[in-house]
Amino acid sequence: MSDDGGLALLLLGPAGATGLYWYLYRYYRNTDKSHAFERETVVEAKPVTGSDQDRKIDEVKGTRETRISGDNVREFRKRVKRIQSDTS
Amino acid sequence: MSYKCTGCGAEVTVNTESAMTARCHWCRHVFGVNEQVANGAVPDAVLPFHIKKDDAVARIRQFVDKRRMFALKEFKEQFTPENVVGVYLPYMIVDGKASADVAGQGEILTRTYTQGSGDKKKTYYDADVYEIGRHVDFTVDDLPLESSNERGNLNTGVNTNNIINTILPFDTKNAVKWNASYLSGFSSEKRNQDVEHLRPRLEEQLLSIARCQVEGSVGRFDRGVRWQQERLDVHGTRWVAMYLPVWLYSYQQGGKGGMLHYIAVNGRTGETMGSVPVQQWKLILAALTVGTFLEAIAFVILGSSS
Repeated sequence: MSDDGGLALLLLGPAGATGLYWYLYRYYRNTDKSHAFERETVVEAKPVTGSDQDRKIDEVKGTRETRISGDNVREFRKRVKRIQSDTS
Repeated sequence: MSYKCTGCGAEVTVNTESAMTARCHWCRHVFGVNEQVANGAVPDAVLPFHIKKDDAVARIRQFVDKRRMFALKEFKEQFTPENVVGVYLPYMIVDGKASADVAGQGEILTRTYTQGSGDKKKTYYDADVYEIGRHVDFTVDDLPLESSNERGNLNTGVNTNNIINTILPFDTKNAVKWNASYLSGFSSEKRNQDVEHLRPRLEEQLLSIARCQVEGSVGRFDRGVRWQQERLDVHGTRWVAMYLPVWLYSYQQGGKGGMLHYIAVNGRTGETMGSVPVQQWKLILAALTVGTFLEAIAFVILGSSS
């Protein structure tokens, strides 16, 4: 067995203990729960536009990351830089 | 808050923190808060309780029965779901029309390859980077916002209001015009937040909804998208102050850092959520036991393979 694999196996105990603690804690306290308003609100939306303007600007070669850095496509509630609208 | 006296037409101020009726200073006519003039602590509409107390008690009991093993000893000893209270909590129900723009970068995988061999084998990826933007026009219907400052604070580090937030939404379409007689037999809390206080939270939620809406249009970026800028234009909103029915069981945890733990039942749908305080040493002991067991297995595997 490789050194990497052996080290990973040794982490099984601490990782399992931490994981179980958080799993049970959240099952009892539900600190991670909130109203899923993104999906539970009645929203009527016109078709999303803008995909015809997608523009290739660069290429990444030989990265070991499986996702783009700072991926937030599913983190709807994580706010990014807000551009103020002209009207307000 | 100001009322118009139905006896003589004079304006009378009532402190609605303490009383729901008042006597006109001029004509001595007594009237109730139903005859309100200005928009204030009294809501526009109310959604009456539909779930009965027995039902709420049963749901709370069922919720706690699943969470007994690691629950705080005092909580279990004092657990009396019959003490649940029916509370009308103040919300603003918002309809809105908005547009949102988001901009950022997305990546599409073009090549996957491995280099090295055996233990040194590593996987590499090539990708195309795109600059992307999306626009969406949308309307939202009956978005509920807590309209009391205390209930709107959802910081789980200091309170368990997120529990009450989680049992949203309600069938607010069935709300009826406010009438104080709905309050009899129930408790209620006051609204202390106005449209202007709540607007930032509404805008945050509209942006979150917009980001959820555009997700489906960026599926081809299989390495994900990093949104960097967002913009919201609100074209119009409509606000209704409404009392929503909640069955609330509470337990005050004593000691350092002890907080008020809620178990809440949606008074219409019966959706139940709660915070059960934990007996920390039991939880830690269980985690350590399982951790030790897993570590023992790890050692056995390591020992047999070397």
